[in-house]
Amino acid sequence: MTAAVWVGVLLAGGIGSVLRFLVDRAVARWAARSFPFGTLTVNISGAALLGLISGLALSRDAALLADTAFIGSYTTFSTWMLETQRLGEERQTWSAAANIVISVALGLAAAVLGQWVTGRL
Amino acid sequence: MSQSCLKLTAYFGERQRAVADRQRHGFLADAMLDLFGARDVATSVMLRGIASFGPRHVLRSDESLSLSEDPPMAIAAVDVELKIRELVDDVIAMTARGLVTLERAQLLSRADAIRDAGSRDAAKLTIYVGRQERVDGIRAHYAVCELLYRHGFAGAAVFLGVDGTAHGRRYRARFFSRNVNVPQMIIGIGTPAQVSAAAAELAAVVPHPLLTVERVRLCKRDGELFARPQQLPATDDRGRTLWQKLMVHTTEATTHDGSPIHRALVRRLLQSKTANGATVLRGIWGFHGDHKPHGDKLFQLTRHVPVTTIIVDTPDSIARSFDIVDELTANHGLVTSEMVPAVLPIDGSPRRGGTRLANFDY
Repeated sequence: MTAAVWVGVLLAGGIGSVLRFLVDRAVARWAARSFPFGTLTVNISGAALLGLISGLALSRDAALLADTAFIGSYTTFSTWMLETQRLGEERQTWSAAANIVISVALGLAAAVLGQWVTGRL
Repeated sequence: MSQSCLKLTAYFGERQRAVADRQRHGFLADAMLDLFGARDVATSVMLRGIASFGPRHVLRSDESLSLSEDPPMAIAAVDVELKIRELVDDVIAMTARGLVTLERAQLLSRADAIRDAGSRDAAKLTIYVGRQERVDGIRAHYAVCELLYRHGFAGAAVFLGVDGTAHGRRYRARFFSRNVNVPQMIIGIGTPAQVSAAAAELAAVVPHPLLTVERVRLCKRDGELFARPQQLPATDDRGRTLWQKLMVHTTEATTHDGSPIHRALVRRLLQSKTANGATVLRGIWGFHGDHKPHGDKLFQLTRHVPVTTIIVDTPDSIARSFDIVDELTANHGLVTSEMVPAVLPIDGSPRRGGTRLANFDY
């Protein structure tokens, strides 16, 4: 690990989190629903992207930057959990349960699809 | 002695900066409270909302983490007419985008009889107390709600201020502080007779009472429709625009189609495209209908606090928005309407309203 990789992780992580904020906000405002479509979009697209990248034979440093730093900061587990809890708190039990089930189902499918796409290349 | 007062209310986004001049570079909310503090405003309070949208139809909401980054703000300031009039231009000058309203209110100090006591309409009593002030040994807001409940009020809600002034002194909430005097706003809706009696009792038990009374119309309570909002003309006889305000008091526990009424209401108003804005404030304690005063507990799965949705608009839009409100409050909620004599939407573009107070006897 060199200093350049560390700086790279900082930058890729920063870009990933800013991108998530922008995508999440745009989708949430567009949807204007209680269901957290913004976070769902971010997590599903992140899972697909990660599946896609993991299928490529990247060097160790490149994989660290792309997977851990960029996708790691782009997707969010904590927000998914917090927003599910908020839905439950506001008595939207069905939406809260759907948020868990749909995220897991679509997320797995997206990761598999990503890998399948790179396998075809 | 009771005095004729004005209440200035400003609604805007929390992250907005004050329009820069030589002195101000910080957040608009801070700049506004600095101004109120410097001018010794009798009472003002800064409230942080949980959801809103404005004329641009951009949603702010604490439901999603990214949308809660810039929550709505509502700041109210009450003082004698002359003092508020002197403030208005400064408040408008520092605001780039937002909504400023002026309303007439009666500021009560000690045991006054309220005006219009015989009026058919209802009255709104607003009480400003410090967060840790005590009445008969218990926290003031619990005591006040209990008292309003006992007097048979239709409803009341307590809103936690994060900054404000009381009797001309600035009190700002800090993280490491008991925040004893940081103001809270308590809104109660009752008949003029109930408000009169409650005000007299409050003036006797609260150490330094700050009470205002405004005339409102009780439109709905627990699903029962009493009256639609007054049908006001677009302008008064001197051409000054008339505005109206709806306040929808519900709780986190009352739902419509599976989501809390206030969430459904903001969504429907936003989709309607005819409403120019709404702001939702979440209270910490209160009641409406025949339930005893309630709030959140330390251990709970769902929330129980009161929530108030405020809709300020032209009489035409209010009539349309009321249809949506009426539909969503089919079983629950307390809805009031009132006339707002001056509203100024600020958004760079040509301004429709003004700060000249309209007069209309309805």
